[in-house]
Amino acid sequence: MSLIALSFTIIFVMVTMLISVWQKLDLEKDIAIGTVRSAVQLLLVGYVLQFIFNSDHPVLIIAIVGFMIIVASINAGKRGKGLRWISLYIAAAITVTELLMMGLLLGLGIVEPTPQYIIPLSGMTIGNAMVVSGLFLNQMKREVESSKGEIESLLALGATPRRAFQDVLKRSVKSSMIPTIDGMKTVGLVQLPGMMTGMIIAGADPVEAVRYQILIVFAFTSSAAITSILLSMMTYRQWFTSDMRLRSL
Amino acid sequence: MSTLLTIDKLVKRIGLTEQRILFEHVNAEVDQGERIAILGASGQGKSTLLRILALLDIPDEGDLIWKGISYRDSDPRIWRTRMTYVAQQAVMLAGSVEDNLKTVHLLHRQPYDQDLARRLLAGMGLENLDIHKRAIDLSGGEKQRIALIRSMMLRPEVLLLDEVTASLDRTNARLVEEQLTRWSQQEGTSLVWVTHDQEQAQSFSTTTWFMGNQTLLERQPTAHFFDNPATDLARQFIMHPAPAAE
Repeated sequence: MSLIALSFTIIFVMVTMLISVWQKLDLEKDIAIGTVRSAVQLLLVGYVLQFIFNSDHPVLIIAIVGFMIIVASINAGKRGKGLRWISLYIAAAITVTELLMMGLLLGLGIVEPTPQYIIPLSGMTIGNAMVVSGLFLNQMKREVESSKGEIESLLALGATPRRAFQDVLKRSVKSSMIPTIDGMKTVGLVQLPGMMTGMIIAGADPVEAVRYQILIVFAFTSSAAITSILLSMMTYRQWFTSDMRLRSL
Repeated sequence: MSTLLTIDKLVKRIGLTEQRILFEHVNAEVDQGERIAILGASGQGKSTLLRILALLDIPDEGDLIWKGISYRDSDPRIWRTRMTYVAQQAVMLAGSVEDNLKTVHLLHRQPYDQDLARRLLAGMGLENLDIHKRAIDLSGGEKQRIALIRSMMLRPEVLLLDEVTASLDRTNARLVEEQLTRWSQQEGTSLVWVTHDQEQAQSFSTTTWFMGNQTLLERQPTAHFFDNPATDLARQFIMHPAPAAE
């Protein structure tokens, strides 16, 4: 896409601004900030990726993947306010997921060990793990609130916190995975995924694009399961005090 | 009768920003086989006291001493198997009635005592209940009795009962009282039972604890408490009992 063609896309922003002024939505400032931020962020990422692709240095690849994990963990950690070190636990869960995913993809020779494959696939895996972590923590909060009686009934019968929490954890893990599984069921029928669409627009063979999309969909399912199960195992004690009482967050 | 539990200068405050005293200077003992009724107006912290005894809540000051050992030096899991709390709102766990009755067996890898379960079901007027039925489909009164039996299957030394007959009609409440009294006499289990029903308190308990003025105001043998309460507040309470629900 030429720069002139790209600059024409500002028309979409202008249309949104006009609607905001016309309907008195008072969104002009936010739209302006959002426009500048998204353009600058994406252009910066483009240049950074171009630099890393050209240098092909493993340290730079690790640095950018590490940066993605940090941002994802801090963001998902906001869903777990009141839980100590939650962003660190999320970072650990996402890191293990990323290592397993990349280990399998590269180890089995499914993708080539180049930045062009590693960085986008890592980004998608980490992004999905971030969403799953946020969903898991949200669901846990709801579950603990609604299942307080059940948890305390088990504690009162001498159950360990782990046992008293078993069903709550199961329901939360399941709930955090549902969007990924539903997405897998309807992919291609309801929505055309971004990566596949991007490849097709960029001129790739649609069948080749679909192959990569299948890889992504399957990898997402696995990363969702690994992330939420790891997070549940690492954080369940946080919902209890050291003397095995349910904490109110 | 040997003393199982000593409650020593217990204080509980409530409120996050502006704390106020719920109760203070609470001193008492629970002896083996003793049947205690906790009475008092709403808001005196009777349920909170029970939850503290079960270590589901903690005191702000004071100590709980089980056979000479402070709760601070005890494993909460073992403590709760000795002093088991039964909540006012019965919660059924997932699965059938039988699954609920087997909870203790599953949690503690103890053999499931089917005969005991049958006897307790019959004693509580549930002999005709289909134990394969989903527990969640039971009526409020049935759930309450199953929750009680589920705890009794653990054979704790003290049962902490929070208005466990509140959702039962008079006939079934009476059956539960009789069953629990019999159980206490046969097994030597102590009962600490929060109730708003004075008739019930007189029928099952040997000792009455009366909570008022933010403390445990009276601790008397039940007959003595009802015949000759030591404080005006208790006298007024006996004459004009407060409405239920705390």
